[in-house]
Amino acid sequence: MAARDGSTMSIEFGHFALVLAFAIATMATIGGYLFWRSGARIALVLSQAAVLQFILVAVAFLALIQAFVTSDFSLLLVINNSHSLKPLMFKISGVWGNHEGSMVLWIFILVAFGAMVAAFGRRLPNDLLTLVLATQSLLTAAFASFTIFTSNPFLRVFPAPLQGNDLNPVLQDVGLAIHPPLLYAGYIGFSICFSFAIAALISGHIDQAWARWVRPWAMLSWIFLTLGITMGSYWAYYELGWGGWWFWDPVENASFMPWLTGTALLHSALVMEKRNALKIWTVFLSIITFSLSLLGTFLVRSGILTSVHTFVSDPSRGLVILTLLALIIGGAFFLFALRAASLRQGGLFAPVSREGALILNNLFLATAVGAVLVGTLYPLLLDALTGITISVGAPFFNLTFGALMAPLLLVLPFGPLLAWKRADVVAAAQRLIGAAALAVFFTILISALRGVSISLAPLGLLLGFWVAFGAFAELVERSGLGRLPLQQSWRRLVGLPRSAFTTALAHFGIGLTVLGIVSTGAWQTELVTTLNPGESVELSGFTIAFDSYEQVPGPNYTADEGRFTVTAPDGGTRNTLADRRIYVANGMSTTEAAIESYGFSQIYLQLGEPLEDTHVVRIWHKPYITLIWIGALLMALAGIISLIDRGVHIGAPRRAARLNPELAE
Amino acid sequence: MGVLVIFRRILVIDDLVLPCVGAKFPWPMIFWFIAIAVTIIACAALLYAAGSRTVNAAEPELADGNRHFGLMLAGIDVDLAAGKLSEPDAMAAKGELAREVMRFKAEAEQATPVRHELGRLPLLAGLGGIAALAFAVYAGLGSPDLPAQPLADRPQTVAQSLVLGDAFTRIEAALANNPDDLRGWTVIAPAYVQMGRFADAVTAYRRIIALSDETVDLQTKLAEALILQAQGASSPEAMTLLRSAAASDPQHVLSRLYIAAELTRQADYPTAIAAWNDVLALSRGDEPWLPAAQEGLVVAQNNGVAPTQDQAAPFSNQESEMIGQMVSGLATRLADQGGTIEEWTQLVRAYLVFGDTEKAQSAFDTAVTAYPQAFDRSDLDRLALDAGLTIKGNSL
Repeated sequence: MAARDGSTMSIEFGHFALVLAFAIATMATIGGYLFWRSGARIALVLSQAAVLQFILVAVAFLALIQAFVTSDFSLLLVINNSHSLKPLMFKISGVWGNHEGSMVLWIFILVAFGAMVAAFGRRLPNDLLTLVLATQSLLTAAFASFTIFTSNPFLRVFPAPLQGNDLNPVLQDVGLAIHPPLLYAGYIGFSICFSFAIAALISGHIDQAWARWVRPWAMLSWIFLTLGITMGSYWAYYELGWGGWWFWDPVENASFMPWLTGTALLHSALVMEKRNALKIWTVFLSIITFSLSLLGTFLVRSGILTSVHTFVSDPSRGLVILTLLALIIGGAFFLFALRAASLRQGGLFAPVSREGALILNNLFLATAVGAVLVGTLYPLLLDALTGITISVGAPFFNLTFGALMAPLLLVLPFGPLLAWKRADVVAAAQRLIGAAALAVFFTILISALRGVSISLAPLGLLLGFWVAFGAFAELVERSGLGRLPLQQSWRRLVGLPRSAFTTALAHFGIGLTVLGIVSTGAWQTELVTTLNPGESVELSGFTIAFDSYEQVPGPNYTADEGRFTVTAPDGGTRNTLADRRIYVANGMSTTEAAIESYGFSQIYLQLGEPLEDTHVVRIWHKPYITLIWIGALLMALAGIISLIDRGVHIGAPRRAARLNPELAE
Repeated sequence: MGVLVIFRRILVIDDLVLPCVGAKFPWPMIFWFIAIAVTIIACAALLYAAGSRTVNAAEPELADGNRHFGLMLAGIDVDLAAGKLSEPDAMAAKGELAREVMRFKAEAEQATPVRHELGRLPLLAGLGGIAALAFAVYAGLGSPDLPAQPLADRPQTVAQSLVLGDAFTRIEAALANNPDDLRGWTVIAPAYVQMGRFADAVTAYRRIIALSDETVDLQTKLAEALILQAQGASSPEAMTLLRSAAASDPQHVLSRLYIAAELTRQADYPTAIAAWNDVLALSRGDEPWLPAAQEGLVVAQNNGVAPTQDQAAPFSNQESEMIGQMVSGLATRLADQGGTIEEWTQLVRAYLVFGDTEKAQSAFDTAVTAYPQAFDRSDLDRLALDAGLTIKGNSL
């Protein structure tokens, strides 16, 4: 029996590897917390344990991938989520296109980060390293046990059926191969910050070196999360066929909340690294960010949420997950309440200072998270407690979130211009006059050209331009552009620390995103009509001609393909293709929209259900919509550059005009 | 790339190790050998890490701090030289830094002292715990006796039926692409009837008729598909087709049989009697349909009541036999290899049509075990409960 050809044992071996990793994580947790004071030896054992966990979970993960690739229908997971005719890439990405498999991916990334800490953390103090790795192991043990006991991906079926039920067609897209791994890397990367915070709270020992350790992890996770959310937004935009880029869907919110607190964490860790201030903020944000990440991943699976992202909902499983979340998050905050007061206060600063500005930033971001959290959870709780179903939709979020972001965006350009410890707002304002003038000029110009349909649009444009231009004020100021001869200011500009550029780039990215959001919201046009091949329509100066229609078979679906010719206002024509796919295995359909970019704007065309003798076609013109994602990508790019360039640059305190800086933090 | 390498490595273990040891030991034993070996390797790695080598000891935790402060000091000098800081600002920054260094050193001195080194006993206890936990959990959840079954390695019969399924899907796709392919339609139409996909069969026969000449056989086949689609009830279209077939070929038996049966069903007995007599007139005396036709005549003469049997057979003997073979083939295949819920539904429906409630119930029970989620079997449940079957077992 064993001599059967090829890979006869990888599934069970993968299962055993996952169980062994769980056992090692459990013991590492216990050992780490009991013996963290025992010096180098325990730190080395835990490092080794972290590496072993990584190898074993990798084996389990690869065993699943192999089962999917070889269409091994003796594995229940493969039956439920694959099909022998599915293209290879979707067989692989199908591994995590479901609850059980995505849990394994989740744990795989968790132990990968743990192994990275073990590999790069050789210079950490032993007690800190031990506590960090023990906390990582605790998380691994908790989620591995949840997976093994309630959502085991290695359940077998005998006899094995001959064909699977295929993957949800919406998920059969390159997006699934990229979006969840990126998002998970972002969520789970913050577990390192969480573990560092827990270690600091237990050992009572936190300093600038600690912040130097935490910041790159926070930055790395933030980059992943930014890219993951951006990717998810674009995926939803082109795949769901509604042309929307953000739906305030509970799961989108769940990924957005850790992003907001993660952004605050990045800024706090910066202050701590440079000025040894905002320690408690940093620890608090580390805990809350990972807690929100957990909420984000698991709220979906608890069965109390339903959305595009919901996998299976199973009440008993939901209860386990909620208990697990309550223990981890509750335990962390209990520890925080117990120990935060004992952390030594850091550098002092006046309210008006770079530190003060960053606290303001933290407050606004935290409040925004609060608003989103309420909007997401309130309907669920209301439904759970009273049975009343209400829907908190986009208007609520747009209003509250917008109202909180507006003042933050307004003061954002001031931040980088303020000095550490004590700053002069008036002087900063003077340096921003140029940016303000440019913002007003462009807002008036565009509003005049476009015609204003929504009264808030110019205000939004003003904010967007203000942030975008204001981002460069620091560079202009520090290079002495306009004050000094051009050559000299160029030399100074080139000599500026890289962090000045990354700050400017990231803030410029926010400005672009705001501009994209505002212009799409204000000037988007839409046309829903019936068309036959040979007919054409006009929208916002574009002429769209329906050329032909035919049915075409794909690998595991049949497609209705519509070919269109789009003629731009300037006369250029492009051919484009929109299709509707019916998947053979389960009869589900998806739409693949035709999207044509003109500069930063896009024509978005969707072929609807065929009617008796005609076709429903929906066409949108979305002005400057790509700025939304380009801005987000610039933010991530700024993060990447900053991560690569970890040079130290010192912020000199401005000489205090008065002594006795007020105590803050 | 790394992923690919590790991925290959698992295969290598399987390919190289198993054939060597597989000859001597039964399958689950090999699995346990490897599982124990892996556990031992993992524990040995942990033990090795705890060995008495001095790796990190010479690295005092101040080192990182010192480097950090050194870099910051250098940064101030660079900024000063570049003119980004004025002299007094630089002095203030250095003063600040010096205070920070002093604080840091004071803190490091009172940092957590090493209590006692990790002893051998707790280490060994931990390793024992790892092995015990891993094997206990795996023994409870795993299926060590179940080897993987990649589709390509499945036994011959299975592979063939898969190839058939593959070929079927390919033909369908090709037909969608090129709906004028007469051969494709001719192959696929009877298969549709066999699979119970009568609506598709109707479409297929219509295509064939449109692409070729309308023969009496094709007309009858289409009518048959239409009748099956209507679950035994005839449609005016089917009758028109049958009459046209019978009219154009006076010797065509099958169409006349259907006409006679349909007239009997419609209780038009005088016409039915004439129709049955027409068919019987075509007989040479040894046809397999003869008994069915004689019985039909008796039923029609008896005003719809079958005197000798409880039930008039809805199918001729030959047909019953064929259908019976098909059903038992399906039943055997489903019992051996499992199948989709649609196939189970088909089987249960077939038994119900034959009036074999017992077999229907037992097939339904097996289907419920194979698909315990009620969500998966909505159609089957509806069919079964309508027919008075009951849900047993672990239905959810």
